[in-house]
Amino acid sequence: MPYLDIAREAITGSSLNVLKMAAIVIPLMIFVEIFKELNWLDRLTSIMAPITRLIGIPPEGNLPLLSGLIFGISYGSGLIIQSSREGKLTLEDIFLINLFLVMCHSLFEDTLLFAAIGARWVLILILRLIIAISFCSLMSRIYKKRRVYSVTSSNE
Amino acid sequence: MVPFSTIKQGFMNGLKVTWELTKVVVPVYISVTILKYTPVLPWISKHMEPVMKLVGLPGEASLPLVLGYCVNIYAAIGAITPLNLNIKQITIIAAMLLLAHSLPMETAINKKTGVRVTGLVVLRLLVGFAIAVGLNIFI
Repeated sequence: MPYLDIAREAITGSSLNVLKMAAIVIPLMIFVEIFKELNWLDRLTSIMAPITRLIGIPPEGNLPLLSGLIFGISYGSGLIIQSSREGKLTLEDIFLINLFLVMCHSLFEDTLLFAAIGARWVLILILRLIIAISFCSLMSRIYKKRRVYSVTSSNE
Repeated sequence: MVPFSTIKQGFMNGLKVTWELTKVVVPVYISVTILKYTPVLPWISKHMEPVMKLVGLPGEASLPLVLGYCVNIYAAIGAITPLNLNIKQITIIAAMLLLAHSLPMETAINKKTGVRVTGLVVLRLLVGFAIAVGLNIFI
């Protein structure tokens, strides 16, 4: 019965996926709360400042960005969902983080998978970083320009 | 010392976010699993065969590409292995797949954060293709 096999694959696969997410998201969120409690966010911000300034993402976006880069899009998005629930990120910030992460995420796992079959992974990794940084900084510049225009036009 | 309430808060946030992601992941995972057993993916990949030439890949390489785009990287790698591609070709297909993969799942998750996602998907596919063309010429 192929339908039964498909159903079984869908159910076990999606449950495993959810369990894997819980196994990363819950410790990650606990870590984030501890991080905030100890005021380590400032330290992280100063380390990441050269890149985040270039791509126009505010300090509140550091943790989503970093966890997306390390663990993958779901986890970056999980932290975006949490931060936006706390009202810390604007829609523009959220778009920029998404823009960066779609090009460049899960740097260890995904890269390793292709390294294992012989791809020139260093080259690809560098290209992905360059692409993500360029698109993001371009988009943040467009946003900035648009904000300046909307301020000047409202003054008139 | 970190107070227990901090850890509890983190745990609760983790549960809430896991639940939010579950609502996206489960339906998409089920749909993609069903899609995998329909003739849709082979059909798309058959129509993509001519495009493969533009990036220096053999026509058969369209199947792992479509599997990677629609399902995930593991499915793509499973389909790359029997093709006997050389290092250059593997690098090209790897670049395309690293820029765009698991599109139904990742796009649904992007959408959950509240942004418009059509542009993001198109951008991933186009940039992946452009990089592949470039790699085919320069490496």
